[in-house]
Amino acid sequence: MPDVVIASRSVAKQSRGLPGRLLRGLRPLAMTVPLLLPSLARAQSSPWIRVGANGVLLYTFADPVPRGRSLAEVRLVQPAIMVHAGALSNRLRFLTTINLEGLTIPDGELTSGAWGEGFIDRRHPHTYLHELILSAHDLLGQIDGAARLSLAAGKGFAPFGTDDPMVRPVARYPVNHHLAQILERAVVIAGMTRGPVAFEAGLFNGDEPESPSQWPKLDRFGDSWSGRLTLLPVRGLELQGSYAHVHSPEHRPGAGTDQHKWSISGRWEGAVYTYPVYALIEWARTSEAEGFFVFRSFLAEGAWTAGRSRLHYRFERTERPEEERTLDPFRSVRPHFENSIHGTTRWTIHTLGYGLRLGPPGLGARPFVEVSYGRMADVGGGVFDTRRFYGRDSFWSLSLGVRLNPGMPMHRMGRYGVALDTAGLMEKGHHERHAD
Amino acid sequence: MSVMQTRTVLMAILLISSAACTSSDPLRPPQPATQIAATGGDGQMGQVSAELADPLTVLATDAAGNTVADVTVSWSVVSGGGSVTPTSTTNSSGIATATFTLGATLGQQSVQAQAAGLTPVLFTATAVAAGTGLSVVGGGDNVLERFSSDLWVHGNYAYSGTWGFREQEGNTLKVWSLGASGAPTLAGTVTVPGIGTVSDVQVSDDGQFLVLSGERGPNGGIFLYSLSNPAAPSFLSSALVGEAGVHTVTLSTISGRLYAFASRNPGFPQSAATDPALLIYDITDPEAPTLVATQRFPERDYGIHDTFVRDGIAFAFVWDNPGLVIYDVGNGIRGGSPSAPVEISRLITATNGVCCGPSVHNGWWFHNPVTSERRYLFIGQEGVANIGSSSSGDIHVVDVSDLAQPHEVAFFHLNGAGTHNFWMDEERQILYAAYYNGGVVALDVSGTLTGNLSGRLLSQVKPGGAGNTFTWGVQLANGFLYAIDMLSGLWQLTTE
Repeated sequence: MPDVVIASRSVAKQSRGLPGRLLRGLRPLAMTVPLLLPSLARAQSSPWIRVGANGVLLYTFADPVPRGRSLAEVRLVQPAIMVHAGALSNRLRFLTTINLEGLTIPDGELTSGAWGEGFIDRRHPHTYLHELILSAHDLLGQIDGAARLSLAAGKGFAPFGTDDPMVRPVARYPVNHHLAQILERAVVIAGMTRGPVAFEAGLFNGDEPESPSQWPKLDRFGDSWSGRLTLLPVRGLELQGSYAHVHSPEHRPGAGTDQHKWSISGRWEGAVYTYPVYALIEWARTSEAEGFFVFRSFLAEGAWTAGRSRLHYRFERTERPEEERTLDPFRSVRPHFENSIHGTTRWTIHTLGYGLRLGPPGLGARPFVEVSYGRMADVGGGVFDTRRFYGRDSFWSLSLGVRLNPGMPMHRMGRYGVALDTAGLMEKGHHERHAD
Repeated sequence: MSVMQTRTVLMAILLISSAACTSSDPLRPPQPATQIAATGGDGQMGQVSAELADPLTVLATDAAGNTVADVTVSWSVVSGGGSVTPTSTTNSSGIATATFTLGATLGQQSVQAQAAGLTPVLFTATAVAAGTGLSVVGGGDNVLERFSSDLWVHGNYAYSGTWGFREQEGNTLKVWSLGASGAPTLAGTVTVPGIGTVSDVQVSDDGQFLVLSGERGPNGGIFLYSLSNPAAPSFLSSALVGEAGVHTVTLSTISGRLYAFASRNPGFPQSAATDPALLIYDITDPEAPTLVATQRFPERDYGIHDTFVRDGIAFAFVWDNPGLVIYDVGNGIRGGSPSAPVEISRLITATNGVCCGPSVHNGWWFHNPVTSERRYLFIGQEGVANIGSSSSGDIHVVDVSDLAQPHEVAFFHLNGAGTHNFWMDEERQILYAAYYNGGVVALDVSGTLTGNLSGRLLSQVKPGGAGNTFTWGVQLANGFLYAIDMLSGLWQLTTE
């Protein structure tokens, strides 16, 4: 796929419009950093910028939804604009993702099981500024030998767990999104990589956003932290384990219960014969309120591409808390005013999909169909009763849609600094590879 | 196929086949049990020489954590002199069960479970004297389509709220007729529009009015009803606060006027107008409630949950921060009034190791007619809970003999359950506490209270039985103790 690439010694002359203005805005910063970091000053300047967009026009039918009825809707989901830029031989990187779901799906998305089926609930909204990260790479140059040290800061993902589901083959959001990723935070991340091993540690604010236009609560910055260890034992295989301590994610002022989160995953991207294949297995666990509540997740997904066609499949078994709902059963009571939940449900879901790449390569168009079947079970007590709430304990859904991804392919959201570098050591990234 | 291709194929097969694996394998041969662990029945209380309400259960597992069936478990009494099922065998879920009949010794008694070659498991129970016990007389399992919430009894009628969503929304007030025997019979249901939970109920002392608070809907606020016909409350007026709702409402007559003290929940988005607050309404004219004061709690540390008002002193129970706040609202010691409350003091109680903070929720200021003391304030700590099955939180005793310097002096902890609303038999110096999955607890609060009050436990009852008890509140009336249970409805209990 042809990216919008600008590589020039005179960026201001050749870049026009918004990307050009962005680069011009970055220039003073790019000129200042080398003064502070000698290794960057030695680097050769070769600025570049990429711009891309993404969106999925989606029809979804789900049966049942809360209160036992069925529901269908057409929405534009995952609308995003991405800008990446690099300078000083890629030692200075800028990355941003603008997410417009607050405009296109203000009431959330019909995704059975995914944190309340609407994004005002515990599946918090993506904010308009989904990512805005500036990262400095290989900070110490030759001083640290073969190791490379990076520092990243801005708004985005904490170094924990796996890639954002938006950049994975299955359009349907998994139930485990907030067990397996920590996003929409003000973050500072230090990373170090040497050979096939990378380690990142991050500080961030624990609060989840409650509306698309909300900023991280900066007076809570540093009340939460995480660490992620990544191994690349063979080409194409990425193993990671991570841990996070998140203070009061569900109560923005900070009075809520803390979470201890673990994630282990294996991600493989390569080819079987000449067919590109992608596979991910992940296990995640969140312990909340000093272990009073524990939510576990296991997820495995894969994709197989042959020519223009792609098949994908996901299996997921994830537990989620059930909270007090308002009279609108798609909404839970916010903000919290006590530490209780109504029960825990376990969602076991199979999702099978097929997509076909169409149109000119630059458009990145891929019509697809996805079918999900799942079962819900009450686990661990509580007053929540799946059969009463949904009418039965199984569901199915059908999604028909077309993904458009013009320009730069979607990046592996949530990876900055050395993690961005190690992602580059992999194949080009699933969407890039499969959209080519 | 090259070596590299072979490796990649094998890797793909490994990854995908791992995805299809499940945690249990029906073909796995049975493994020997490597441990037994208590899964139920520990920490109960019962009357001497009586069988405990819940069975004792242990779970047998193998080294991999899988449950093991057909393990023989031997049970024996360690102390107290009671009796227990001598042996039992684990079922297909790995559970072995025994019943424990307490001995004649007051206090702690214990039983041991043992399987051959494995570490034994100890169960303890507390035996209390017969005759101080709570027991069920009538009622129960009488609200099945909704979860029940708060209760108020006045005269020959009782009124209970409903909560959340069961088969239907909890947007109703249940009206109960108490017959000659005191047993409750449902007399009617009043639907409150635009809310999903009736979170609190109270009747004025003269029985003329009923006030309730509503949450979970656009019409959150307080609602007033006339009880000119006590069997059929008729709507008079409301004071709405919007979506945030009101968690509790408390009535008090001060200087001849009737006031409602309402606990407004935190709202969204965050602003002064949506801060949790104590709202004080003059409802002397119940058809025209008038807001006379607003005490905000901008800390937004979950906010205010309840108030207790007596002798012109208002105790606000405001979770972790500021915790307990004491106001003069007409007592005179600080010149306060309902329209101009004056704060006297604050206190954040201990956590007692309960997750996740002091969680100051409710209280009762004990006026002891025996000693004439007004020394103790009992505070309920609403710890973390899985509503309907598990809960946590202690009773904290605060010495308020000097209202300006309250200090915590004692606590009561019940294993496996957390406290909720209180009622007192002040003449008998007994505190009755709803204890969610622990049912109803009676505590002797006579004399000086200090330290751990576990020895003050008089009685405990789970009205609906294990698995069907999650008691919200209690009230003494007409010689009985009425208990409202979220799962099993309204119960009539005796206290002898």
